[in-house]
Amino acid sequence: MICLDALSVDFDGRFQLHDVSWTIQPGEHWLIAGANGSGKSALAAVLAGDGQGLSGTLSGLPDRVALVSYERQAELIEAERRKDDADILDVISEGTPAAEIIDAVCQDHDLAQTLIDTLGLRPLMGRAFRKLSTGETRKVMLIRALTSRPELVVLDEPFDGLDHDSLMWLQGHLSVLAETVPMVIVLNRFDECPEFITHIAYVDDGHLLHQVKRDDERAFAELYQLLHLKTSELEVPRADPADRLPALNSGDPLVRITGATIRYDENTVFENLDWTIEANQSWQVSGPNGSGKTCLLSLITGDHPQCYVNDIRVFGFQRGTGESIWQIKQYIGYVSTALQWEYRVGTGLRNVIISGFFDSIGLYTKSTETQRAIADDWLALLGMAERADEPFNSLSYGDQRLVLIARAMVKHPPLLILDEPCLGLDEMNRHLVLALIERICASSETAVLYVNHRSEDRIPGIDNHLTLSGDTAS
Amino acid sequence: MANYFNTLSLREQLAELGKCRFMHLDEFTEGVDALRGKKMVVIGCGAQGLNQGLNLRDSGLDVSYALRAEAIEQKRQSWKNATENGFTVGTYDELLPTADVVLNLTPDKQHTSVVNAIMPLMKHGACLSYSHGFNIVEEGMQVRDDITVIMVAPKCPGSEVRAEYVRGFGVPTLIAVHEDNDPNGEGLALAKAYAVGTGGHKAGVLMSSFIAEVKSDLMGEQTILCGMLQTGSLLCFDKMMEEGIDPGYASKLIQYGWETTTEALKYGGVTNMMDRLSNPAKIRAFDLAEEMKDIMRPLYWKHQDDIMTGTFSQTMMADWANDDVELLGWRADTAETPFEKTPAGDMEISEQEYFDNGILMVAMVKAGVELAFETMTSAGIIADSAYYESLHETPLIANTVARKKLYEMNATISDTAEYGCYLYNHACVPLLGDFMKDITSDVIGKGLELDDNGVDNARLIEVNAAIRSHPVEQIGGVLRGYMADMKRII
Repeated sequence: MICLDALSVDFDGRFQLHDVSWTIQPGEHWLIAGANGSGKSALAAVLAGDGQGLSGTLSGLPDRVALVSYERQAELIEAERRKDDADILDVISEGTPAAEIIDAVCQDHDLAQTLIDTLGLRPLMGRAFRKLSTGETRKVMLIRALTSRPELVVLDEPFDGLDHDSLMWLQGHLSVLAETVPMVIVLNRFDECPEFITHIAYVDDGHLLHQVKRDDERAFAELYQLLHLKTSELEVPRADPADRLPALNSGDPLVRITGATIRYDENTVFENLDWTIEANQSWQVSGPNGSGKTCLLSLITGDHPQCYVNDIRVFGFQRGTGESIWQIKQYIGYVSTALQWEYRVGTGLRNVIISGFFDSIGLYTKSTETQRAIADDWLALLGMAERADEPFNSLSYGDQRLVLIARAMVKHPPLLILDEPCLGLDEMNRHLVLALIERICASSETAVLYVNHRSEDRIPGIDNHLTLSGDTAS
Repeated sequence: MANYFNTLSLREQLAELGKCRFMHLDEFTEGVDALRGKKMVVIGCGAQGLNQGLNLRDSGLDVSYALRAEAIEQKRQSWKNATENGFTVGTYDELLPTADVVLNLTPDKQHTSVVNAIMPLMKHGACLSYSHGFNIVEEGMQVRDDITVIMVAPKCPGSEVRAEYVRGFGVPTLIAVHEDNDPNGEGLALAKAYAVGTGGHKAGVLMSSFIAEVKSDLMGEQTILCGMLQTGSLLCFDKMMEEGIDPGYASKLIQYGWETTTEALKYGGVTNMMDRLSNPAKIRAFDLAEEMKDIMRPLYWKHQDDIMTGTFSQTMMADWANDDVELLGWRADTAETPFEKTPAGDMEISEQEYFDNGILMVAMVKAGVELAFETMTSAGIIADSAYYESLHETPLIANTVARKKLYEMNATISDTAEYGCYLYNHACVPLLGDFMKDITSDVIGKGLELDDNGVDNARLIEVNAAIRSHPVEQIGGVLRGYMADMKRII
């Protein structure tokens, strides 16, 4: 049993893994997943003894750990190059032949010969290792690892750059090897995940965030989606060019609330509140339960009936002067738990996203070709491209939230209101939602109004804060 | 006051009864313009009053509430409803003299006193709006000549009117103009704008007349909608008890069976509801329905006749004058019936099982829908109206039974509907007495339990043809087509 307990590791000051607790039981095969730069290669390298332990413990590592990674590959080539530089003789150095590189660690010569033939390396065996192409050196590294009679195999992106035949063969070989040797594989993409993998570790920002059993289908799917959102190169879909919002006066604030008071019977939720939201200005609103966060937002959206007795100017409309609520709502994207409760419809996901163009719950208007295409782009971004026609109410709670965020953003509103967007979500879905919000914030000119009470759910780029304390606002 | 309908000539009566047209969305392009800037004052702040007001205001209209002085002084619920929602509230004297449109959203039985109180205060040329025509048609209320009288009637409870608006949709709405009170010819424009203001135009608007609305609405609610469901519930439950079916099961089969089977009706009419049965069960249900139609036909005729002549409204108004003694007594009796007192069991009943074990219930719905439709159309009510007041609304009422049995149904519908429902039930239960004697659990409670589902081809073709060719299916196909065009894509 390999056991990492609260382990923090430093890699030459360039990168650190923090507080990793992880156990690999006999018979388990792990996949390590995460976005680029998340630390998944670092975690794999720790198993091969790399890095400087800062705190915590690492126990149970076997003696012979075979690691194949770009870093190891680069190190070996660098070592070869140094040998060359160190050569003081005035002859052209050929460098170490590939055959010798393999022999140096080989414990199983028969297997080595088979592998050399199978991977088509035979004609290259006499050539200098450092003269080989990246794909060829990668194959040499694989042969070294597989013929070293390893007690643990750690492969970092082993399928990268392999031609189809080699890939098929390698996968077959690994699944046989997996019967006797534990494996840890780092992969960028789940769709290459070998059958024998039993567990997945998800790494983000140097932390081991999630550990999921392969046969937990739901968790596996969520992790898949999270990885997709973190790594997909898809852009946030464009707005519908045919459906432009009436232009706002450029100098005007989006929202100006003056001396607002909300009162039920004798009970005052807040009073005399002033607040101005300029275009492209994002805000975080916090405050304890009952301090009126949602009330305040609904004064802006027009869902609070007392918006008609307060001095509120939104998107150029002074409230209560003959404007309709739909003229207001067209400028707002809105997500909240309450909306999710309201949104009990059996319609497909595509229609739910399209309903954002009409600010409706459910879809009552025929959509255009462009609107459908944009909705599909959003589903692709969410990693739900295959699920466009699945009924919304059959989705998990977290997936519903993601779709509702896409619905809110589909028209690229000047103001996006996220009222406790992570409320009621487990860790995995919280990360999913935050990953999506982060992508949206980074790529649009929408002012975000973000309400939450968890300080750790911060979104980069939101620098204005409004705190409601329960009796006074500051 | 005299019954208005009875003052008209036969020709005029038939012309009014024949009014009902499904309006297309493109007839509402002017939106709420006809009401923009006008002062709308709502009388009554119950569910309809409050929720319609919220919608109208959110559509950009100027809405305030006129309450009786004592309701304001005592801060009654209606005052609270209006003020907490940020509306201007005032007395009749304060608000009505400047009102351009007065929305009378009080219960039927208060109409006469309310209208008499507000009329002297209303300014010249203002508009008075109703959501039900009883006061005008049955009580013969004479409204001042300079006042425009219209009707805007959302065909759903007030809470739904609001909920659907907030979703970005609306509820089907009936509008009408009282021809005798349309001095400036602006009644239709105002009614259309009002329907847009509540969101009704998105779900479908029927343009009808006060008379067609009252005479078809009363007929539908008394017979198939509420009456038949009440009678059917009581008879089916008692029969299942007699047949030794588990009471919890029987109670559940009925309570949710109406809703489940009529859901099929909503999607594809009587044809689709019958198609949910196996072939032998369908033929059985068809035969039962034919038999019941023959037995109940005179009763349906009597209800329609009493509605047309004003006998019904007279009878009911006599009970109003007598402090609702009959209504309250009948309501109490209903609460004491075995069906009402037996809670639904917690067993699972699959959607299909409601059909398979509820053949008699399906037959009752078919018989009731067809008879009500046939009776209405033969009395001069246009097929469109007859369809909406029979088949179309049956699932809505069935839904209230599912929520809390007959109690909920009778609590949700108007007192007028409830009174008529009891009249029907008192006549229909004994009328079906002999018929019920021959009924066994194979058509209610257990299902046919046949080894072989085979049927005679010729007979099946004959039955299918009869079901599909009924006039309610013809008009239903057309109207459901319109609705689907504009209705929820989900």
